[in-house]
Amino acid sequence: MAPKKALAMAAVVALTAASLAACGSGDDNDNGSSGGNVTMQLWINATTGPGKAYWDKAAVDYHTAHPNVTIKIQAIQNEDLDGKLQTALNSGSAPDIFLQRGGGKMAAMVEAGQLKDISNDITDNTEQAVGEAALKTGVVDGKAYAVPISILPGGLWYSKDLFQKAGIATPPTTLDELNTAVTKLKANGTPIALGGKDAWPAAHWFYFFALRACSPDTLDAAAKSKTFNDACWTKAGEDLKAFADTKPFNEGFLTTSAQQGAGSSAGLVANHKASMELMGAWDPGVIASLTKDTKPLPDLGYFPFPAVPGGQGDPAAIMGGADGYSCSKDAPKECADFLNFILTKDQQEAYYKAFNALPVNKEAQGAVTEDFLKAVLDAYNKAPYVSQWLDTVYGQSVGNALNVSVVNLLAGKGDVAGIIKAVNDAAKKG
Amino acid sequence: MQAPPPSRARRRGIGWAQRLEIAALSGPAILVFLSFVIFPVLMAAYYGFYRWKGFGVPTNFVGLDNYKTILQDSAFLAALWHNGLIVVLSLVIQGPIAIGLALLLNQRVRGQSIIRVLIFVPFVIAEVIAGTGWSLMLQANGAVNGILRSIGLGGLAEDWLANPKLALWSLMAILTWKYIGFAVILFLAGMQNIPEELSEAAAVDGASYWQTQRRITLPLLAPTIRIWAFLSIIGALQLFDLVYIIWGQYVASTAGTSTMATYMVTEGRNAGNYGYGNAVAVVLFVISLIIALLYQRFVLRRDTDGALTGGR
Repeated sequence: MAPKKALAMAAVVALTAASLAACGSGDDNDNGSSGGNVTMQLWINATTGPGKAYWDKAAVDYHTAHPNVTIKIQAIQNEDLDGKLQTALNSGSAPDIFLQRGGGKMAAMVEAGQLKDISNDITDNTEQAVGEAALKTGVVDGKAYAVPISILPGGLWYSKDLFQKAGIATPPTTLDELNTAVTKLKANGTPIALGGKDAWPAAHWFYFFALRACSPDTLDAAAKSKTFNDACWTKAGEDLKAFADTKPFNEGFLTTSAQQGAGSSAGLVANHKASMELMGAWDPGVIASLTKDTKPLPDLGYFPFPAVPGGQGDPAAIMGGADGYSCSKDAPKECADFLNFILTKDQQEAYYKAFNALPVNKEAQGAVTEDFLKAVLDAYNKAPYVSQWLDTVYGQSVGNALNVSVVNLLAGKGDVAGIIKAVNDAAKKG
Repeated sequence: MQAPPPSRARRRGIGWAQRLEIAALSGPAILVFLSFVIFPVLMAAYYGFYRWKGFGVPTNFVGLDNYKTILQDSAFLAALWHNGLIVVLSLVIQGPIAIGLALLLNQRVRGQSIIRVLIFVPFVIAEVIAGTGWSLMLQANGAVNGILRSIGLGGLAEDWLANPKLALWSLMAILTWKYIGFAVILFLAGMQNIPEELSEAAAVDGASYWQTQRRITLPLLAPTIRIWAFLSIIGALQLFDLVYIIWGQYVASTAGTSTMATYMVTEGRNAGNYGYGNAVAVVLFVISLIIALLYQRFVLRRDTDGALTGGR
């Protein structure tokens, strides 16, 4: 290289370096400092309506009780939240408090040392009010990194009117009764709605069949071994295949989305085009947003997933998730205090009213008025054990493999062995 | 002692001031290119060697494991096959139709400008909007089946998107509708460049219309066709948005319309395996690069002689 050329290159490099240097900036976190004035960033996924209002008020209430602490809220669209959060956590500019979906993602955050251990900061009051079972959702390797704020058990959300019209007096409690009910409902042109385009609603059918087929020990063991060779997984797949062969779902379910618009599975239930849908406890809110007058569906009911013969799981076991909140690694110590605060009775009642979701605080659960939520609570409190969503337990990689292979099965393109092979192969990819 | 050979710059008489000027003027563009094209490509190559969940710094180095898994994964091979089909079908379907339309519009036809607009509008519509519209129309209970039933052809109603036998053809129909306008505009521009005298001379010699088109217009249009084919191939290899909008994240592989790009998003972002996803991105990049280079070398060689190949 000629010397002059080198100089010209150097000039370019210098220009490059100068402008890149101008890009880097970050807001300084007051690392764990306290005593003086503290400002904390809170990221939530409710951008409008009563949900947003609840959080605004919670921040103000907390500030009133602790004048030296200010909480700045950033509301992020639910679908955008995960990506933005990941970027923020990796670039060291994480919010102090943020929505935590738990499971494999949380485990990855813990592994990367991005979350604050709050094991010693959860107060006795909180522990009593929330209970160990729910708090366990925020624990990784015996340490607490998140607290749950609402429990979202899954089950079948149905239209009481359509069931009556089909001559079904009581919701089905066994698989046989469900099959009989589906036959009657299909005769009226109101099948089960399924958002197959998003795949996870289809995978949920497999999860529930697995919950009935597999013992809780088997479910737990698979979380560690990531192998699915127990015979119960195959049974779950065969149960699902036998059920799917009766063609219980809406026409074109493979290209039906779950939650977007009147043509989605929730929209079909909201507009009485379908009789029921298997979904988590967030569904009433989604269905309400898709009715013609965007009001809650007046005849909405809930029944737990029916008992399936021949399995090792308890027929009353229930599956669901919990939305929680975490503190990032460098959050001030007031962060955990705020988490205790949002789990108090008054806050939890306000949360329930804003989100129509079951609060985790048992004292606040008395405020629940809706029939269907009472039915959920009843099933939840009767359950001998509660499993987390399987894709949460086994991580995104396995969840993704289940999504793809269950859709293949329902489309008649794959078989039960394909599901087992796909989840066993998923471990290779990450 | 030998004097050092004069540098090329000295011979061409580029002085210091000019060099600084060049550096100052091209600096920003080079900088943007480096930071938004080259740097991400290098980062993808780096992440591709790790098993990484996307949180924190990658630590679990797995060498070429990701690549081994990709090349053995039947879902990826299926996606690659679909990409190949889409490349070939795009050329075979769109080429003849576009040439025919361009020949038609190259004459004085009544309503020419309206036809032109109708053909070109789909190309201007955003992919997301086109995809959403088509997915609503082609659903089992969508408008297409509704129309078929209302005119008594209910027997022809199909699940256009979910039926694996039909889905790829539905996709090809949408792609043709969407991108044919681009090809027609290119070919029309190419035809405008063909001197009138040639066809006049042919007419004097008693050549029929078809002879003129076959012997004069098409051969002279060849460079344009070769460039269009190149853009079409690269576009088909990178196809993502329409498939993702219409079939969502997971149904594409079932319906037989998955592409390498949708596989990358499904197995990378949606499965949380960012290391693996980056490795897929590298594979896609390498495949596209090889095809592009081969095409440049063997097909476009005559067109780009002197411009890229140093005038050999």
